[in-house]
Amino acid sequence: MGLKSLRRIEATKGWSISTVYFIYTAIFWGYPFFWLFILALSKWNFLTPRKFIWFNNFIKMFQDELFWRVVLNTFNFMLYYIPMVLGLSLLFAIALTKIKFFKTFFVLAFLVANVSSGVAYSIIFQRLFAINGPLNKFIYALTGKTIPWFSEPQLAILSIAMMVTWKFIGYYGLILFSGLNSIPKSLYEAAELDGATGWKKFWKITLPLLNPSIVMVLVLAISLVFGIFTEPYLITGGGPMKRTFTFQMMVYTTAFQKLDPGYASTLAIVAALMSFGCVILTRKLIEREVEYA
Amino acid sequence: MKKVLFVVLIMLVVFSAFGKEIVFWTAPNPLQESFWKELVQQWNEENPDIQINWSTIPAAGSSEEAILTSIASGRSPDICTNIFSGFAAQLIEADQLVPLETLPGYWELIEQRKMEQIVEGWKFNGHYFVFPIYSNPMLMWWRGDLLQKLGYDSPPRTYSEIYEISEKYSVPNEKFGMQVILGRNWWDRWFDFINYYYAASGGKSYLDLERARATFNDEHGKSVTEFIYKMFKNNWTAVDLGNYPLYNGVVLGGIRGPWEINWAKEQFPDVFDDIVISPPPVPDYYPDEEPVYTFADTKGLVIFKSCKYKEEAWEFLKWVYSNEENDLRWVTMTNLPPARGDLLTNEMFTDYMAENDFFAQYAGFVPYAVPPALTTKTVDIQDALTTYLIEPLMYDRAGPEEALTDIVRRIRTILF
Repeated sequence: MGLKSLRRIEATKGWSISTVYFIYTAIFWGYPFFWLFILALSKWNFLTPRKFIWFNNFIKMFQDELFWRVVLNTFNFMLYYIPMVLGLSLLFAIALTKIKFFKTFFVLAFLVANVSSGVAYSIIFQRLFAINGPLNKFIYALTGKTIPWFSEPQLAILSIAMMVTWKFIGYYGLILFSGLNSIPKSLYEAAELDGATGWKKFWKITLPLLNPSIVMVLVLAISLVFGIFTEPYLITGGGPMKRTFTFQMMVYTTAFQKLDPGYASTLAIVAALMSFGCVILTRKLIEREVEYA
Repeated sequence: MKKVLFVVLIMLVVFSAFGKEIVFWTAPNPLQESFWKELVQQWNEENPDIQINWSTIPAAGSSEEAILTSIASGRSPDICTNIFSGFAAQLIEADQLVPLETLPGYWELIEQRKMEQIVEGWKFNGHYFVFPIYSNPMLMWWRGDLLQKLGYDSPPRTYSEIYEISEKYSVPNEKFGMQVILGRNWWDRWFDFINYYYAASGGKSYLDLERARATFNDEHGKSVTEFIYKMFKNNWTAVDLGNYPLYNGVVLGGIRGPWEINWAKEQFPDVFDDIVISPPPVPDYYPDEEPVYTFADTKGLVIFKSCKYKEEAWEFLKWVYSNEENDLRWVTMTNLPPARGDLLTNEMFTDYMAENDFFAQYAGFVPYAVPPALTTKTVDIQDALTTYLIEPLMYDRAGPEEALTDIVRRIRTILF
């Protein structure tokens, strides 16, 4: 058998295996992706014929007060969520390294939050944080005051950030835990011989060597902020004063309540671009080459 | 036996080849489902040549979403219920609906059901595209027991009366006079602001669609905005009232629809007996003897233009709605007032009304319940009402006049 026919057989095999994936991607990714861009350049209401309006949706977006409100909300949310989720997951991961018994139980207990239905726990939190809910009753008994968790603009953002943090501590904590486990023990032993204290070991060894896991958690957390929907949609409806109105809520209401899928597609594209931008920026600023040797 | 089977088989083949099938979607609500299931079965048995293919609106984020998807994919139903005014306007504008008055016997049916006044609220460009099925007036529920403790035998009627009881009852962060605002969703504005405006203005429309502007920047609109502002400013109401505020005694009263009757009876049987119903509050200048108008939470059914057998579809609807017994069954099963003008006078409903006082009170307001404006921009307008009128008043970010001027300007931009 010649080299050429051998190559042809190999190529046929390769194509026949990858074609299934190509077809799948073309239908379920390529087609919607292409359609998204067509829609972003169109005016349509699902019912009447679609009209090409080129970049009018983008121009409209930059003049839309609500779009800028959502951009601000997203960064405002990040300001609470990222430090909170990163700090607490790190604490959880460190706690896991110290625990000797029931480690799997604790991991599973925290992961339950991650696999719970968003709708179910949103309703539970709403009842829990209500002005006459158990949490406020307890605070009132102690201090004589209540906290308007979902009705004061900044508190509402913080409350939702707390809920999402609760959901993701277990998941991000596990990523950081595996990062902590991959740091060689010998490094700590050497540092101890040199007389390094606990804090010094944390700042000089743990944190720098945990960089890949931290970057991964940050990337996941940032992309999540641009995708939040269930909690604000169910609990605050985007209020008060539109402060908890997120990109995904805006995309959904624009497409299916205001019947403007063209503008919704434009928003989806811009949200995705902003999310990529933030991820790239974070990696540029924080990511470091790590060597354990 | 073989012969019978053969005949049945032949009949099936003939009907499937020549019989007419009408696709009919109804609201995904268990009570309404049982109503339609029986009726469709009866029709299909009596009319083998016109078969109704009945199902509930497919599961989706909302009924509107499911219907839109079906239209976009060319699989729209022939008849569909659960259509609200804003969505109807969008369907009409997209030329999807049949003007029902062009079908034989439309006006006879309207006359028979005394619906002349009701259908006027659904008129669009001189045509009647929607057949209203039910009309829920939105009324005030008050805690009679708590009012009596405060020394009142009847619920308050005017804003001043509400201020008076609120001042007596309210304790900061604990108890409030009334639940003034129902929520932050766009549809909540139907039940609070628009409802109060209808009550204050004697049922005047809040939008002038021909001139593309809001009409509520008049004395009535000003009174309503003042009322909302004053209630929040004095802590006589609050943004977050917690869970079940009316039943927990956190508020003395609030707006409720008839769908809450059965639920409240089951969940809070002790409190339910103390509930007193009254029309929405009115400004002090509103005449005593005049009837108070309310908002009508109303849904209707439509026939799509894509329907192959329009007259047959209409025949089916006429068969359902010309029989008063079907209305009685609807009332008994759903507790929603059917859209007919003779609910209080028709003997068919007398017994039911006598046994169900709450329902009777709602039924009494059907003639004064005004549907929302038929605009394609319903969601945009009501979203703007929340953000630029209600929330600034709630959080004291703007005074009543300032907020009113701002929202009227914004609605002009939305409608223009």
